[in-house]
Amino acid sequence: MMLNKSGHRTILMTSVLAFGLYAPTAFAQDSAIDKMTPVTTEMLLNPPDGDWLMWRRTFNGWGYSPLDEINKENVAKLDLVWAWGMTPGGRTQETPLVHDGILYLQNSTTLIQAINGATGDLIWEYQYDLPEDVNPGGERSKAIYEDKLIIATRDAHLLALDAKTGKLIWDKQVANSKYGFSFTSGPLVANGVIVQGTTGCGGGQPGGCFYTGHDVNTGEELWRVNTIARGDTPEGNSWNGVPLESRFGASAWLSGSYDPEQNLIFAGVGQPYPWNAEMSGLSPKSADPNVTNNALYTNSTLAMDPNTGELKWYHQYLANDTLDLDYAYERLLIDLPFKGKDRQMVVTTGKLGIIEALDRTTGEWLWAKETVPQNVVFSIDQTTGAKTINPETVPVIGETTFNCPADPGAKAWQATAYSPRTKTLYLPMVEFCSETTVQPLDPGEIYTGGGRQTYTRVEHPDGDGNIGQVRAVNLTDLSDTWMYRQRPPITSSTLPTGGGIVFVGSLDRKFLALDDETGEVLWTSGKLSNSLESFPITYEADGKQYVAIVANFASGLGRLASLTPEIKLPQDNPATLYVFALGD
Amino acid sequence: MPVASTPFRFTVVHLALVTAMSIFTLAPASVSAQAEPEFFERPYAPNQWELGKRLDESKLRYCVDPRDPDWEVAAAIADAIAQGLLLEPVRYTITSEQVQEDITKVYALLLEHCDIQMGFKLISGGYAGWASVTRPYYEAAYVLVALDPDVNALADLGPGRPIGASMGTSAHVRLVTYLTALPAEERWPTYPMSSNDAALNALVNGTVDVALVWAPTLWSRQRGGDAIANLRVIDPNPLPPTSLGVGALLLSQETFLRAAVDETIAALTADGTIAGILEQYDFPAKVSP
Repeated sequence: MMLNKSGHRTILMTSVLAFGLYAPTAFAQDSAIDKMTPVTTEMLLNPPDGDWLMWRRTFNGWGYSPLDEINKENVAKLDLVWAWGMTPGGRTQETPLVHDGILYLQNSTTLIQAINGATGDLIWEYQYDLPEDVNPGGERSKAIYEDKLIIATRDAHLLALDAKTGKLIWDKQVANSKYGFSFTSGPLVANGVIVQGTTGCGGGQPGGCFYTGHDVNTGEELWRVNTIARGDTPEGNSWNGVPLESRFGASAWLSGSYDPEQNLIFAGVGQPYPWNAEMSGLSPKSADPNVTNNALYTNSTLAMDPNTGELKWYHQYLANDTLDLDYAYERLLIDLPFKGKDRQMVVTTGKLGIIEALDRTTGEWLWAKETVPQNVVFSIDQTTGAKTINPETVPVIGETTFNCPADPGAKAWQATAYSPRTKTLYLPMVEFCSETTVQPLDPGEIYTGGGRQTYTRVEHPDGDGNIGQVRAVNLTDLSDTWMYRQRPPITSSTLPTGGGIVFVGSLDRKFLALDDETGEVLWTSGKLSNSLESFPITYEADGKQYVAIVANFASGLGRLASLTPEIKLPQDNPATLYVFALGD
Repeated sequence: MPVASTPFRFTVVHLALVTAMSIFTLAPASVSAQAEPEFFERPYAPNQWELGKRLDESKLRYCVDPRDPDWEVAAAIADAIAQGLLLEPVRYTITSEQVQEDITKVYALLLEHCDIQMGFKLISGGYAGWASVTRPYYEAAYVLVALDPDVNALADLGPGRPIGASMGTSAHVRLVTYLTALPAEERWPTYPMSSNDAALNALVNGTVDVALVWAPTLWSRQRGGDAIANLRVIDPNPLPPTSLGVGALLLSQETFLRAAVDETIAALTADGTIAGILEQYDFPAKVSP
């Protein structure tokens, strides 16, 4: 393979040099990508059925595909058609993108690859070299717009590659990774602007993280919204009087959703840090009447203009979070009646497993729906959504407290998905608890660990041993349609399709297809190379529907492995892309 | 098979859960897990499958990190340990500019570059199963530092005047525990700082009136002759002092090496070698008994 100055390799060139002529496979690859069309704004607004153009496929964050070639009647005939070994090193929770049958893959070593989605043949690859002192790791998502594939990196750079050739167009450093700033999810392109969230604001650098907007053609930063409120405002004074240099956390570690009608991005923010409120200075509450200890904008939805970064409104779901219970995840934009009135909602589910809806035009809190058993929230104000916390679950120095769910969450970064077919939200969930102990974690001067609390994860006292769950909740009346349960933790996002199927993966290396109306298991893959902790997609190439998922032990809910020691995973943590289709 | 479910009734389930919790405290759950550190419990080293067991057993390879305030002292102690083991000391000096690292980064360093890495505090329950710490080669303290000439002890600090503490340290935990026991009006606000250096900087720039920091960091900064040379260590009263032993980290499977290093540290402590090194550097620590 030849490596050009930009670091991208072309298989075609290899064939030419080795054989003096174009190999047939090279012709096929070349032809497939030559036919690729630029991704237009209109395509992002209304993606072709066979494409997967962004993290959750559509701006509304549904994670739903209308493809129906694979359906309830024939899914039992699903076969593995090709697989691709990804580079070892680091963990990945990959969401491949697909446009015009070309699949784009980001390996955890920041090796970016274009693959023929029908044949599984490599077309080009581009290697971005991380600094030696930055650990490799995957990104959950990427973006494609016009002729550019837009990539986020672990050292907080944004890259634009030519989607046809893999050639680097621009490289923009957004933050200095030596302070811990990092990207673990990629950007969203909304109204022509790249919007990117930053993470890694735990302890290396105070002041929190930020969302930034970037010019598509140059990567230049257009605006920045800090995720920790500052200044002499009610929001800025919500940190219990602690100065900005002592405010930590509020990572923005997943991509948001976009409402083109309002021209607003809806994106989440994680919890304050360290988790223990006595250590963070957020407790005990200050006697100053001008000060609160809600720690804004942690555990909030931010509604931002993608062109200016103007913060239109915010809503905080969990104030002064002491248990690492992020509300940082996917935001689904769903329009349904509520109390007899049509509402434009933004729906999200935090680690507590509580589904919550806001009116996305105003930020007004609308409703909440509990799912797995939890003991952290005593009650929810039915007007504001404010939560009364069970004081017995708040970690206290010198005691071990008990909370459900445990810190990885009943539902974490594994995204829920919504099917317009059934008007149902499909939630990948786990049921477990934790004995939580505040722990000094200052082993070295530079080398620290965690959020100053340790967790002994245990099964729910009333549990039946079935830790893994997929829950189906009908959003027209918030009724539970069905629940699928199994012992191995459910560890991937859900993927509902127009074929009436919900795909989902689990820790025990199995990929499942469930009936979207009953939860019945219609198909199970053979055991794959590793646990399935990523975002499955489905796409069309050469007129045929494929379903793809990456296998890799990617931490997150994989931490539940301690509860299921009977599930053995490979030592060196292989990463593999698997692609399934119906047999011919 | 799908399981029919009913909508979650919060109060009923909550009551059941509280009951279960009461039972839970008396009888362990049928399945329990070991306490785990929070991130990346299974450490990962880039290309770890290419890293084999070392063959040259005539050398003691040790890592020191110049980001640690004591790294030169630690290197001198590591050289002495190697000599005590009749091994050739081989130093690997870490060159990263990251301001903070997860401890699992050490896993990669131990696989690739060194047998032991110097500079880890002995904290009960503070390490995952893959790592163990040798016996301490010295003990150092967290100290309270002030600029105000009228503050000679923590007790002199008026209520409401803030303390900056390096976040999450054993001393920070102890301070917060003490404060929690005080009436609200008698407490000092305590601001977490990202590092000992940040706490000292906050003291110099007036954000806080007292900094709670690791004594070797203060020593290192004052040794550098910068503006903080005028800072004074004050009496921790009414807090008891917080001291921690410091040893070397190694893979827990290296049991033979661990025993040999422990014995050597004991011998170097007994014959005054380590005390001599500490004295040579005027280092604010004492040998561990």
